[in-house]
Amino acid sequence: MLVFATSDKGGTGRSVTSANIAYRRALLGDDVCYLDFDFGSPTSAAVFDVPSALRGVDQAGLHSYLRGNVAEPKRVNVWSESDSASLRNRPSGSGQLVLVPGDRGGGEFVTGGDAVRRCTELFLRLEEEFDIILVDLSAGRSYAAEMVLEATSRPELAEVVTRWLVFHRWTRQHIIAASGLVYGDRGIMAAGAARGHDEDTLRDSVRFVRAAVPDPSSPMFTQLRPAQAAWLRACHEDLTRLASQHRLGQTLVLGTVPLDPVLQWQEQLITDDDVLASRVANTETAEAFAALAVALTHDRAWESPL
Amino acid sequence: MRPDKPGEGPAVLLGEVRTGLLQHSVELPLSATDRLLGLRHGERVRSSQRPNVQAHSPDLLTGVDCALATGSHRSVRGVGTVTARAVLTEGRVLQASVRARLAAAEGAQRLPWSHYLARPGTVEVIGRAEAPALADGHLTAGPGATLDLGAIAERMLTGIQGGGGLDRRAPFRSRRIRLRWTAVRADLAGEAPGGRLTVEDDTLRTLRLTLDRIDPAEVTAFCEDLALHDWLLSTLGRLIERSGLGSDPGPGPVLKLRPAVNHLMHLWMPGARVARPLAPLWDGLETRPGFSRQWAAAVQRVRDHLALQAVGLHAQPVRKD
Repeated sequence: MLVFATSDKGGTGRSVTSANIAYRRALLGDDVCYLDFDFGSPTSAAVFDVPSALRGVDQAGLHSYLRGNVAEPKRVNVWSESDSASLRNRPSGSGQLVLVPGDRGGGEFVTGGDAVRRCTELFLRLEEEFDIILVDLSAGRSYAAEMVLEATSRPELAEVVTRWLVFHRWTRQHIIAASGLVYGDRGIMAAGAARGHDEDTLRDSVRFVRAAVPDPSSPMFTQLRPAQAAWLRACHEDLTRLASQHRLGQTLVLGTVPLDPVLQWQEQLITDDDVLASRVANTETAEAFAALAVALTHDRAWESPL
Repeated sequence: MRPDKPGEGPAVLLGEVRTGLLQHSVELPLSATDRLLGLRHGERVRSSQRPNVQAHSPDLLTGVDCALATGSHRSVRGVGTVTARAVLTEGRVLQASVRARLAAAEGAQRLPWSHYLARPGTVEVIGRAEAPALADGHLTAGPGATLDLGAIAERMLTGIQGGGGLDRRAPFRSRRIRLRWTAVRADLAGEAPGGRLTVEDDTLRTLRLTLDRIDPAEVTAFCEDLALHDWLLSTLGRLIERSGLGSDPGPGPVLKLRPAVNHLMHLWMPGARVARPLAPLWDGLETRPGFSRQWAAAVQRVRDHLALQAVGLHAQPVRKD
């Protein structure tokens, strides 16, 4: 299964959330591969805490592969190469967790038929081996997004299940922007249809993930004055209404990630150690990631709402 | 290197075999392999049905002009063509096999392509390098600027797996495994004839062969056979590991092992297509590391587990008191 993670704006926690989804799926026993297609700023090595990999991808990262400089992109086995002690002990029953990083300082590049072909071949190649291929696209409309839309429209990938996760923060601006990214004039739907995707199928393969959503009942907000709490609730209702007007309603939401200070300050994988032993991360955050990981392949979550 | 003498065969043969599962839900019938492996117009796919079903694509030539690794920092130039073919065993396991024989060039200049096309599968070495050094270079070279037979094999596999005719619903996930191999003539290597197989990492094996006489077709067939069985062993091992056999007492492992029983366990037939002069090499590998021994143990383990599940022993563990 191919999963594309995208967002209209930065700061939605797209990379960190999708990396955590990858980690949770691997814990569940799937073989998972995470591709860093955020060509402007490849950061995945930091999230997975594999600094040694950063040095190694000056030449053989995804950009070099897509440009045709190397036959295969470098792979990093997160379980064995991560600096994080809690990741290094691969839990029994877990599947592979492999990171395919971008080149350091890769930058955006012009796509062409060759890059699309190589991208298609890479997806096919990884699909033989991995249950889930999570592709982290950059924020906004990018060459990477156009390239994968082109690649997935090819007949070779017709049999591969493809899903899109669109991340947005829980604010007016972000809701409107995320709606534009999917349904707008130059959005995913329009760009996909122009490349021959079936519109209904493509629309049914898109789900939204609400990030950094404040939960008024969480301990972080116990100090609120009654007026503030009421205001927060009113805002939440307004946003809920706005979201459904912009076709981001509850039926299309795959999950919600609560506001968590750990994620605001350091983008990292939230392991059970972080929740239970050192207790720096909130249980709700870990649970949200686990729920997203399960929902990713849960048929009910992907039924057509129509 | 010095030029080959007539009758004694090439001095060095380099190759790489990549093995993977055909991305199709069922075994591909022999009648459909013509379309799949018909990589060259007008040339037939060759197949045989005994002792197992195997089909070979026609040989494809790829022109190369690049550096050859020598195991040290110095590299020499190689110009010529390499031979690639695809092999499908029992409609299930697909291999891409690439080989190149090295020969000394007569001059220091590249010649017109007609010269190289008249010597298919031969790469001429321009510059001074000894046969064992070139073999070492092939086994130890990282990805990059030197002759990369694996990249040619990879492209071939991807082309076939992504081409028409396959439904891409393979019964289980598996890795492609690489066998990078060299064969050096014993008189040049200064060693007794034999073979040494090394498991470098999860997906890479290297094989060094030292032979009295090198017949490219026979050596390639041997390496393909070895790569096939190494892949079977590795893949069955992974399926067993991932099934939870030994940790999960419930029926879970049985379901997860089903593809192994349905698709892998009948494919074991080591040495079936190996030429007689190379048969002792298989015998050596059967003694150490003991391919068939390990395979038999794994298969027995799966069957025992299935039998135990069938009689329901797992449901009522024996109480010790």
